[in-house]
Amino acid sequence: MSLSVPVAAVLLFMLGSALAAAALRDVVGSIVAFAGYSFGVAVLWALLRAPDVALTEAAVGAGITTVLFLLTIARTSVSRSERFEGISLRSGLAVVAIVVTVGATVPALPPVGAAGTPVLAGDVSQYYLTNAYDQTGVTNVVTAVLVGYRGFDTLGEVAVVFAAGIAMLLVLRREAFV
Amino acid sequence: MSDADADPDAAADIDDEVDGEGTLSRPASERPPYVESTIIMTTVRVIAPFVLTLGAFVMLHGASSAGGGFQGGVIAATTVVMLGFAFGIEPIAAHLRNEQLALLVLSGVGTFLVVGFGGYLVGGNFLQVSGYETLFHNGSKYSIELVEVGIGVVVSGVITGLFFLLGTGVDTGAEETDTDTEPEADR
Repeated sequence: MSLSVPVAAVLLFMLGSALAAAALRDVVGSIVAFAGYSFGVAVLWALLRAPDVALTEAAVGAGITTVLFLLTIARTSVSRSERFEGISLRSGLAVVAIVVTVGATVPALPPVGAAGTPVLAGDVSQYYLTNAYDQTGVTNVVTAVLVGYRGFDTLGEVAVVFAAGIAMLLVLRREAFV
Repeated sequence: MSDADADPDAAADIDDEVDGEGTLSRPASERPPYVESTIIMTTVRVIAPFVLTLGAFVMLHGASSAGGGFQGGVIAATTVVMLGFAFGIEPIAAHLRNEQLALLVLSGVGTFLVVGFGGYLVGGNFLQVSGYETLFHNGSKYSIELVEVGIGVVVSGVITGLFFLLGTGVDTGAEETDTDTEPEADR
């Protein structure tokens, strides 16, 4: 698989910030590193020409999630006795298991952008690409699929967001948002 | 983190050494106070309208370019988050009422459902937006955009709510913290 220089640089940045997020003892620094990782993912989506997903990752992953993490940390206490978190044997084993699983399964996927992948060659996606504009009048196929063809799924997603707000009220034992 | 959770005694010992800044749930009196910063306040004052405009653009323009209700809603909610960081979360919360946020979220869900059930009225099925073409020109496009706005309203309302819940709230262990300063300011 060929790797262009920008993609390789972003992947390297993501790897570094992911390691920093896992290993830093300072929780605030860890959160910032995690936000940097999310930012790297967003840039990667943009480089892979998925602007809708990139926008979501940048707004939710790098933006709001970081703010909510920081607020949570502000309510709890942070001890800064050591620079780096020690890594236990159990965590190490879990990491090895995940790496082995991912490393064994990812090569089975078709390479990014290959012409023969089901995403490009399948009947369903070709139907969407051919007919989305004529049937819905919407030029962004992603939006056409989200609401026009798969509206029921999107209604479920909205219900999940709604339920998240309600669940937060329940967890914090409050009856009002503000 | 998991080690500290699994062994609370050891964590407490470490925390005692660093002069008591390490109980799991910090009392409200010990939390970092709001500090007024001219730079942050001025910056937020300048860029907040633009961020809100970007959010509205992403929300309303999702049919023609990248974006949509989910992304636009989050960006719009960021305005409130920025205001909270610049001017203090409590004063911003004092300007909002719970009914307003709840109404915002419910109206978004309601918009989606109305468009969905409206599909029956125009001779289609649930959420069949193509049926709106019989009502007016480009009906399916406008109904899709209406749904996107509904999604954006739900998302921005819930995120604003989460921000204030975490930023101003009473702790889960209400008996462990002093609750006499905050609740009456919230409600």
